[in-house]
Amino acid sequence: MEFLASDQIAIVDLASGEVETEEFSDELCQEKIGGAGINLALYNQHADGDPIVLGAGLFTGSMVPGSCLGVVTAKSPLTGQVAHAPLTQYLGMELKYSGFDYIVIKNAAAAPTMLWVHDGILDVEEAGGLAGLDVWAAVDQVRADKGDDLIQVLGTGPAAASSDLACLMNNYWPSGDRFGLGHALAAKNLKLVAIRGLGLLEIADDEEFVDQCVALQGEVKGGVWAGKKGLLDLAKGMGQDALADWLAPLVHRHRANFNTPFAANSFLFLQGDPSALPEPEEAEMGVLLTDLGAAALFQQMGLELGDAGAILKQCAKLGLDAGLAAKVCLDGGKTDAAAISGALEGLSGPVEGLSGPFSPATPKTAVFGVDQAGDDAWWTRRQAVAHIFGLDPLFVLLAPELSEAKLVELAGIGTELEFSQEGLDAVIAEVCG
Amino acid sequence: MGVKIDPLKCTACMACELACGYHRDDAFALLSSCIVVYRTRDKKDYFGVILKEEEDLVIARPEGLEVKRIGAVEEGGGGGDASAKPMLLREACDLCEDRDDGPLCKQVCPVDAVYLD
Amino acid sequence: MSNPLSAVNAYNRGLARGGAPPPPPALAKARGGRAPRYPRLGVYTGAGSSHSWLWFAESLERLGFYDLRFLDHAEIAAGGLDGLDGLAVSGGDTFAMARALGQPGAKALEGFLAGGGLYLGACAGAYLMLRSSQEPLCWFNFVQATIANLSRDLPQPLMLPEKYKTAYGCDYVFHPVREAVGLSCAPGPLGGEELAAPLYGGPAMIPASEEVEVLARYAAFEKRTKFLAPRDLAAETLLGLAAVLRAPYGRGSLYLFGPHFEHPGFPTANRLLAAAIYADLPERQPERGPEEQAALDGRPAKDWLLSIKRELSNSRIVALGLEDHPARWLIGTKVYEPAKLRVFLEALWDRLRALGKAPALRGPADALEGLPGSLARITVQARALKQGLDAGQDTQPLAEELFPGLVGAASQFMKIYFATALAGLDEDRDGRRLH
Ligand code: SF4
Ligand code: SF4
Repeated sequence: MEFLASDQIAIVDLASGEVETEEFSDELCQEKIGGAGINLALYNQHADGDPIVLGAGLFTGSMVPGSCLGVVTAKSPLTGQVAHAPLTQYLGMELKYSGFDYIVIKNAAAAPTMLWVHDGILDVEEAGGLAGLDVWAAVDQVRADKGDDLIQVLGTGPAAASSDLACLMNNYWPSGDRFGLGHALAAKNLKLVAIRGLGLLEIADDEEFVDQCVALQGEVKGGVWAGKKGLLDLAKGMGQDALADWLAPLVHRHRANFNTPFAANSFLFLQGDPSALPEPEEAEMGVLLTDLGAAALFQQMGLELGDAGAILKQCAKLGLDAGLAAKVCLDGGKTDAAAISGALEGLSGPVEGLSGPFSPATPKTAVFGVDQAGDDAWWTRRQAVAHIFGLDPLFVLLAPELSEAKLVELAGIGTELEFSQEGLDAVIAEVCG
Repeated sequence: MGVKIDPLKCTACMACELACGYHRDDAFALLSSCIVVYRTRDKKDYFGVILKEEEDLVIARPEGLEVKRIGAVEEGGGGGDASAKPMLLREACDLCEDRDDGPLCKQVCPVDAVYLD
Repeated sequence: MSNPLSAVNAYNRGLARGGAPPPPPALAKARGGRAPRYPRLGVYTGAGSSHSWLWFAESLERLGFYDLRFLDHAEIAAGGLDGLDGLAVSGGDTFAMARALGQPGAKALEGFLAGGGLYLGACAGAYLMLRSSQEPLCWFNFVQATIANLSRDLPQPLMLPEKYKTAYGCDYVFHPVREAVGLSCAPGPLGGEELAAPLYGGPAMIPASEEVEVLARYAAFEKRTKFLAPRDLAAETLLGLAAVLRAPYGRGSLYLFGPHFEHPGFPTANRLLAAAIYADLPERQPERGPEEQAALDGRPAKDWLLSIKRELSNSRIVALGLEDHPARWLIGTKVYEPAKLRVFLEALWDRLRALGKAPALRGPADALEGLPGSLARITVQARALKQGLDAGQDTQPLAEELFPGLVGAASQFMKIYFATALAGLDEDRDGRRLH
């Protein structure tokens, strides 16, 4: 693949420590498009190695609005089904620029291991020194060891060894994986994947592609989300004004995922003045809220926001999915902060009601009055589109301008390959299982 | 006239950085951009944007916009807290002079945090 | 012509392949009626040199000069100039260069020039050859001309104080402007052109002998000129004075450039560099001793390239993260910033892909063998530097190890790169870099 790609797929066998690379062929792209489509094909191809597949979408890292998404495809310890977990913030983009389009991780390592992915090199390294560290300490350590604070870390925490509620962590913050894939990574003795991408993506017809992206950006700018920012507005947009009011006192600033117009992450200051803007002296100020699920449950339980924030931070350090943890606690009758906090270490599933290949961290309820919101089939199809093309899974719900027809057209302009609606339909059907 | 950034509108989405990279390389890449989001102080929620101009470094910090003369002698000696050769290998902003529609970073910023002043 | 270098490049490649192409107009005058010959040039990378030797590598490559040797002070003193037509010495710390070359180096240079060699010195490479009474500079009094930009009393600098002046005996060599300056060339090898070239501390010169020819003078300031001193003082110090000199020595000749004619951002100046090379190319190819060149191909070449790529990537990642760090280190009389790391590493990284396409890797055996280890050390040191900076520690000792090590590794890399490129030309392959 010459365009919108690095033209390289890595196959890592953790048992032997060997890394093979393959060309990313035009044919594979044309047939499966990208992201979850290709992840799934690679998953099936290497199924005997119980693989975890990391991949970027066709447009990840490009100027298509919302182009933040990377995808991890693996069997969920919680559902027993193949699931596609989202990698948002800067992780999907970093993967796209790392020199690998897809990384297949097979089998299990004998000792704690990490992968160091950089500029088309994939190093399998021992990670004994990281094994006992919590998520934050491990991220800090690997960044210090490698000498760069922009390294993006797909990691796990101490919870991952034993808990099926352990999620994939996106640096310090939860990834939106609701499938316990942190546990799946730990089962391979893989502590983390550190990624730095300084690459370059060629575009087949760059002027046309960029012109269309700029025009699209102009169109989406006037969308339902315009003028809104962060999880407070999102909560209000979902009709959860009380949740927004509950969160408001500690919210500091809002952050977007890579090249994503709507900023869907909000930072809670757990110390200091949330309205203060200068750089704080302290190294840690609080926690980045990346979805509303856990917060909504804690609010339902009647927790103080500060206590809820502390639990979210504890979960982030343990590498535990706070949303699932909150649900398990609620179902088990634990609803006070001390009891929840005390129960987190060692907490595990099962979790009722989890199904489907896409993370329910992306809200299924109506947001900002989008027409088809609440329609499950529509939600699933939009998720499939997001996970194939590499687009923000929330933003595709807010931006009908990112239509399938437009994306198919852009795919052709960007790659010089031929794509069709029928081809997309087929890939969507596959990834939706 | 130059590109300015409203730090409080900015959401660190990097669309401007990506656009500038394209302006330089005719491909998607971030190494040549002269507008760069600084985002390493994640746990403090401290982020902003730096722009390299021919003479100045425009730093959009959350607490306000700062314009530093590159290489200027600071009062009391020393060179201040910016490198004397900031982003040495990146070319200074040329306001996208080859584009009829003007600065690409401004055009793609989803929250209108980039403006000309 | 869209790119002033392409015709020169095509001509040089033709010569390198053993052909006899007609010289392009830009070189015809310089060549005169003499038989065409593809020159072999040295680039100084030893103590005192700054990153600007990379500019020589870049511009010479763009001009199609692939037969390049990269030499440090010890190699020069040990006979490394044998077999070379010319030696290019770029900017840096003149005193450090002179000290490192020492009397053995001066002697080697004298022999080289006396035998017909061509010397191209820019900035520090020019200062080195100007007349001086101070040791160790006095060992290199090969050009009867002096420095004009000397002063005892200076006003406060307007910017970049560390770039403003360098102690020189009881005086200061001072630099009233930086960046592009306008030059006016006399008719002769540089062809009477008006052009711009960047000045980064290079000299204005005063000839002290009739044998010394002024080829170009500082003529004007440009839009991009940066003033470190008041404009009238800058004008008084520079305008009308010699920016480029040519002087004979024995059978050889020296070109001294105040501004960096080799800077890759100034193709017209680069082209004039080629004219200078051809104008004073020795008539006959100097004797070449036997050359120990090793070659790697197949799996070993692939593994070698992978190890180089791994380490370059590792240190480049650190360097990028430090590109805006305010740290500075004074090494000799030169100030180094973290951004310089990236300058070296990108120059290598940029050439790695082309190297990967070559049918076989060539170069001195010690360079092929030593480079992976040298680069691995750079990674370790760069990471330690970053950790030290983050912890607020004194990183001066680390920087003093890292930068010379990086220069050495870059020099090893370039030896391999150009030997491989030249062999590619012999095999009629496209040895050009893949930009
Ligand atoms: S595009 Fe706008 S919002 Fe995004 S990083 Fe740049 S200035 Fe900030
Ligand atoms: S105006 Fe153009 S050159 Fe300047 S920062 Fe924006 S995109 Fe880059």
